[in-house]
Order: sequence, then structure tokens, then C-alpha cells
Amino acid sequence: MKKLLSAGIVVLLISLVFVVAAPREGTLLLEGSTTVGPISDAFAEAFQKMYPKVSITVNKTGSGNGAAALVDGRCDIAMMSRFMKDKEYKTAVTGAKPFLPVAHAIAMDGVCVIVYPSNPVKALTREQVRGIYTGKIKNWKDLGGPSQAIVPISRDTSSGTYETFEGLVMNGEKMAANVEYVNSNPQAHSRVKSTTGAIGYVGLGFLDSSVKALEIDKIMPTRSSIAKGVYPISRPLFLFTNGYPELGTLVHEFCTFYLTEEGQEIIEAKGFVPVTAY
Amino acid sequence: MKFRIFPREFRDKCFTASCMFSVCLMVFILVVVLFPMMARGLKAVFFQGTNEFREMQLVVFGHGDAERIQRENGEIEEARAFVYEAANRFRRGIDTEHLADEVRGAYRDYGSYLRAAGISGERYSAQRARAKDLRDALLDAFESRDKEYVQSRLQCVLQSRADPDFGGTPIEAYFETAESYSRIAASVDLSRREQYAEAFGEVREALHKLFGPGPGEPAPALTMDQYGATRWDAVERELHRLLWSEDWVETEPGRPMVKETRARREFFAGTELEPVFDYVETNLEKLFQPRFTFYWRYFMDGSTDGHYFGGCGPEILGTLALTFFSMLFAIPLGIISAAFLVECTGDNIAVRVIRTCINTLAGVPSIVFGLFGMAFFVLFLFPVIGEFGHGTLGIFSAEAADKLTKPNILAASLTLGLLVLPVIIRASEEAIRAVPINYKEAALALGAGQFRSFMTVILPAAAPGIFTGIILSLSRAAGETAPILFTGAIAFGPVPDSILEPTRALSYGSYDIAVGDRLAMLVPHKQYGMVMTLVALVLTLNIIAIWIRSRSSRKLRGL
Repeated sequence: MKKLLSAGIVVLLISLVFVVAAPREGTLLLEGSTTVGPISDAFAEAFQKMYPKVSITVNKTGSGNGAAALVDGRCDIAMMSRFMKDKEYKTAVTGAKPFLPVAHAIAMDGVCVIVYPSNPVKALTREQVRGIYTGKIKNWKDLGGPSQAIVPISRDTSSGTYETFEGLVMNGEKMAANVEYVNSNPQAHSRVKSTTGAIGYVGLGFLDSSVKALEIDKIMPTRSSIAKGVYPISRPLFLFTNGYPELGTLVHEFCTFYLTEEGQEIIEAKGFVPVTAY
Repeated sequence: MKFRIFPREFRDKCFTASCMFSVCLMVFILVVVLFPMMARGLKAVFFQGTNEFREMQLVVFGHGDAERIQRENGEIEEARAFVYEAANRFRRGIDTEHLADEVRGAYRDYGSYLRAAGISGERYSAQRARAKDLRDALLDAFESRDKEYVQSRLQCVLQSRADPDFGGTPIEAYFETAESYSRIAASVDLSRREQYAEAFGEVREALHKLFGPGPGEPAPALTMDQYGATRWDAVERELHRLLWSEDWVETEPGRPMVKETRARREFFAGTELEPVFDYVETNLEKLFQPRFTFYWRYFMDGSTDGHYFGGCGPEILGTLALTFFSMLFAIPLGIISAAFLVECTGDNIAVRVIRTCINTLAGVPSIVFGLFGMAFFVLFLFPVIGEFGHGTLGIFSAEAADKLTKPNILAASLTLGLLVLPVIIRASEEAIRAVPINYKEAALALGAGQFRSFMTVILPAAAPGIFTGIILSLSRAAGETAPILFTGAIAFGPVPDSILEPTRALSYGSYDIAVGDRLAMLVPHKQYGMVMTLVALVLTLNIIAIWIRSRSSRKLRGL
């Protein structure tokens, strides 16, 4: 009995020490898109080098949850790979603690349509890609390739990449039943890499020599075509804040870090395109 | 008689066989799935580390013998100098724009040199005009693709070499440039300059991946780009990329393209770059000084962004903290509830309903608990407590109240605790029920109250069974991702210094590596390493718990 009591006291003391420990200076909580997450990770690392006392935490749970978290006040900055929907805006403006979400477009990303590298098809139009995903075009033969069945691969419907693709390519048409869904960019990449007839779409950063990116509407996804927004499946990546951040605060500095040279270098090193074409 | 026994025997044999089959299947799955995973994970800890790895450890994490690393780096820099020199010489032939800039700069410098030397008037203009001729000759040579023309223009420049007017002036550099360019023009096919430039870009990239940024290059923004190949397997992979180029070529329209692998050595044959490939291939060990590395700090180090370098120390700490606090919450509550269900109530409808509820709760998907935890603890309960504690009672600081409104370890452990509570209640209930009734009767007969008899007689006797439940729930709490996803786990952030801050965790970390970044494709050993660590951690926790259980049950048997 005594042992139990003393053990209990020790445990209580430990938890007290945990609770009472000194607070840190400046904290920042980011939540949202898995696409924007890596940029925030790298920004956070750069910030920690600049200000050792600042603590920045990044959580990647998806664009939708990022918006919800900002509305709930669970985070300081929401990372989103799409713009906020009207509905999300409405809950933010009419909620218990009403505020106006402000968007900061920190980088551009292109959704690149990729195929197995042996595929001789070099370019497609958006209609053709739509035809593939709606099941109207089933064989590469119809697109000037070898006689082989097309294996269309798509991201899961909750991802921002899917929403971009759906909005800019699918025009509201439904995907066919034979489309295969995968959970993440790396998965989509590895699925295309290992399947000769496959077609998929990933972010620009995932392009490498093991897959081949296609020209869409005669435009190749490159840094410059995406930065200019000429490439038809380009999208900006956002940070959303609760109103425009107060000048000089940590949030303000974080949201404007993409304008600095280091911030742009980081964005480029992470496989995205800086919005400021330096 | 015999006919009756036969089917019975047959059935028994079938039963035995199917039992054996399922056991074998389990073992097979363990061996096939778990073993390769653990083996790959071990590669994060045991590997051939290069000097790049040791340097990275020293700079980023501050581990290692600085003097020794410096000495090694000296040797390695010497060995690498040859590669960089050859690449630089080759680059001068390709990158003529850079050369032209240099030449123009020297001409401008020459003007200020003359003025500084006090030369003016006609002599100034005459000398400048001659320098300008030389400059233009060089610029012509850089621009042209015609070998003979290039050489003739360069000869023009070199003729003025003996001219005393240019000795010791910025123009002197022209002769060296002209001489080296004449050598380059003789070896490089100038009409293929563009092709060379493209291929050389790939070579430089491969060299960067192998050796890290070259001398004089600015340090890249991300830590992962600041070092070359840190592991021997990466060295071999990048070496292949340096030595061979892969292209997909079309054989005939409408047919799949064919991969064509060509040696870069042949592509660059006759140029300054050619010896580099043989040099790197034969001197690989000298260039990297690989050594067998037991990276035990993997279990302590933090990591750079995207888990590219470093270990999973913060994740282990976080997982331990989450498990500890969830158990702290779940074990007492679970045992008390079980005791109540067995000791204090009879078998009426209310108890049956409660029991059914607990059983159902045990089967609820973990993400439901996660969402409940977010909605109840993070969004509702904690903000109210924070407001009350800060505003009304004044015992919390404003910062603590603010932290309570965001995901934190406390919320995550409470959610995990709720998740495992049903398991503990069920196991404890069964264990307490299994204690023979005469134990309790004896205790009561000796004058002990109900509480005392429970604490001193029944609980110790039921301890082994309760521990079984605890072991099961411990592993579950350590390995769950969904309940902590919204309540307290983060992908990147500092090590928490209180339970009011969110933390990294092994389970969520593995998920994050798998879905988040393109880096995961580059460092698969880190991904497997984290999974291996999680499995090992759960195993260790289990072994400790089993050890405690066996001790307590031995005590019970009076051994």
C-alpha cells in the first residue's frame, strides 16, 4: 500500500514538473495539406536556426482539416493546396470567433501527368486525359502509342491534388470505375514507375528519370511554364491566416518568408516553383 | 467397431493438421513480412558510412572526433581536387559566356590600371586600342565553332605575348586564357558544345550528389543538399548515375521505346573530362573512406526536415510519453471500473447494458476515438478548463490557457487512454472474477473490510491477469496513429518540455514519411528504421511488462 502511494506521489511529481516547466518564447502551429507540409518543415527548420527560442510545429492532416483547424483556432496558420471553399469561408466569418481568413500564395505547383518512360506518347490534350480517366479511351493505340491497355491511376478523392486535377482536367465529369486510387504522391509515382501501361499525376517535385512527364495542351510542365501559370494544370499553394497577420509578429515573418532569397531557394529545393520569378 | 473409430480419428487428425497449418502460417507471415522489414530497418543503424556522414554528424548534431574528421577531410579533398580541376577545365570550354565575362572584366581593369600608372593621352588610347583588339580576338574565338578560325584568332592573341607593354598588367591573364582555350578547342568538338553542356549538367549533378557542393560553391539552403553521399549504398547508386547515361529511344513509331544505356566515358572521349570517370571508379574508397558504422545515436538524434538525416529520438520520447500518460490514466480507472462491476454490483440489467457498452467500445475504430478526442478534449473541455483556471481562479498563466486550446500530449494521452480502457476493464474483470471466492471469504472472516480485502487479497491474486490486459493495451497505445492524429501528434517540431505541447510520435512519423515528401523515396532506410524502432520499442515494453507479471505471479505462488 505504502509502495503504491509513494509510486503515485512520484508520478504526480513527474507530471507536475512537466506542467510547470518554463514556457518558451514564441510558438507557431501549422496544420493542413500534405503537399505544402514539406515546405513548412523546411521553413520551420530555417526559422529554428535563425531564432533558437522559437518553436514551430507542423502537422500534415490535409487541406480540409487545415481550414477547419484555423476556424476552430487549433492552429495559427493553415497550409492549403487549394483555395478555401465558400463554405469554409462562411463558417470562419459566422463562427463563434468570427474572422476573415487571408490567403498567402507562397509557391506554385504543377500537377504533372506522368507515364512509364518507355511510352512513346509525348503529348496529350486535356480532353484526351479526360477521355482516359472517364474510360472513353482505353488503349494507348488510340493516342499514337503501342497497343496496350491504359491503367489510369488517380489520387484519393480527399486530396488537394485530386481536387486540382478534377477541377482543371475533369470538368466535373466522373472518373470511370477502372481508375485505381492511391493515397499519396510517392505511391502514385511508384505505381506508374512499375507499370508499363500506367498513367498518373503527381506534383512537379516528384518528376525524375524513372517516369516521363507529358506535355499537356502542347505545354511542358517546367519551372517557367508553371511560374507563369501557362501550364494548364498549375496551382498556387497557400498559407491561410486569421486576418492579415500583425506586422512584425512571428506569423507575419513566417508568411512572408517565401519572399526572401532563402525562402525561394528552399521552395525550389523542395521541388516547387517560387511565385517570385527571381 | 473399427468403422466407428475411423471417422473420429480422421476428424481429430484434420483438426490437428489445421491447427498446425495456422500456426505455420503465422510463423511464415512473421518471417516473410516482419523479418525483411526489420532487416531493412537495421540498415538505418548499421551501414557503411562515408566521410560525408561523419562530417554531417559533426556539423549538424555535434558528434564525432573533430580532429580526426578534419584530417580525413584533408586527404579526401586532395583526392577530389583532381576531379574538380578536370571538371573546371572542361567547363571553361563549354561555358564560354563565363570566360567572355572574365575577358571583358580584365579589359576594364586594364583601363583603370593604365590610369593608375599615370599613362594618358595618345599612349593611353593606343595601348587600350591594342588591348581591345586582343579582347575582341578572344571573344571571336569563344563564339566561333570553326576550329581553324578559333586557333587562328587565339594565335593572334598569343603573338603579343612577348609585348612588354602587357607584362604585369591585367591583360597578362589573356595569354593564359588563350593558351588553355586553345588546348580545349583542340580536344572538344566545338559543334557539340550544346550536347556537351547538357551532359555536363548531368555529370555535375551526379558529382554534387556524390561529393556535396564543390569548393567555392555557395552552401545550398537545405541541409540535405549540403552533403554528398553519406552511405556506401548511396555512393554506388550515384556512381552508376555518373558513369552511365540512360535514355529512352524510339525504335519505330507506335512501339514502346527502348532504354539505352551508354557509358559517359565514351561520350566525353578525348575531352578533359574523360579521365575523371576512371579516376572516380578506381579511387572510390579513397574518395569516401567508408567505414562500418554503428549509428546507435539513431535512437537519440533529432532529424532534419523530412527525416533526411538524423534519427528518431524525439519520436521515441514522444511515444514513450504518450504511452506513459495514457497508461497513467487508463490503468487505475480500468481496474476501479472492473472492481466495481465485479464486487459492487449484482447481475442486473443496468450492469449488463454497461458491459455491452464496454464491449462495443472495444470494437470502435480508432479514428472515431481520434475525432472524439479532438471534439471533446481539444475543442470543448480543455478550453473551458483553461478559461476557468486562468480567468476565474487565476492559477494558470495566459500561455498555459492558450496551449490548452491546441492539440497537446495531455489530450492525446487521454484519447489513447480512452481507447485502451475497454480492453483493460475486460481483462481486469475476468481476472478479478477468476480469483477463488474463498480468498475473499477468508479475508472477510479475518475481519478485513471490503476495501481492504480487495486491495490486499483479491488485487494481488488477480494481478497476472490484469497485467495481461495492460500488456495488450500498452502495445496498442504505443502503435496507434489515428487517435493522436488530431489530438497531439505533429510531423515536425521541437521536443516538448511540458505535457501541454504536441509531440512527434513513431507511429505518426512512419505515416508522415510514407505520404508526405518526395524525400521518402530517397531515404527508404529511414522509413524502415522508424518502423523497426516502433516494433522494437513495443517489444521492449512488452518484455518489461511480462517480466513484471512473472515476478508478481511468482510472488503469489510463494516462490
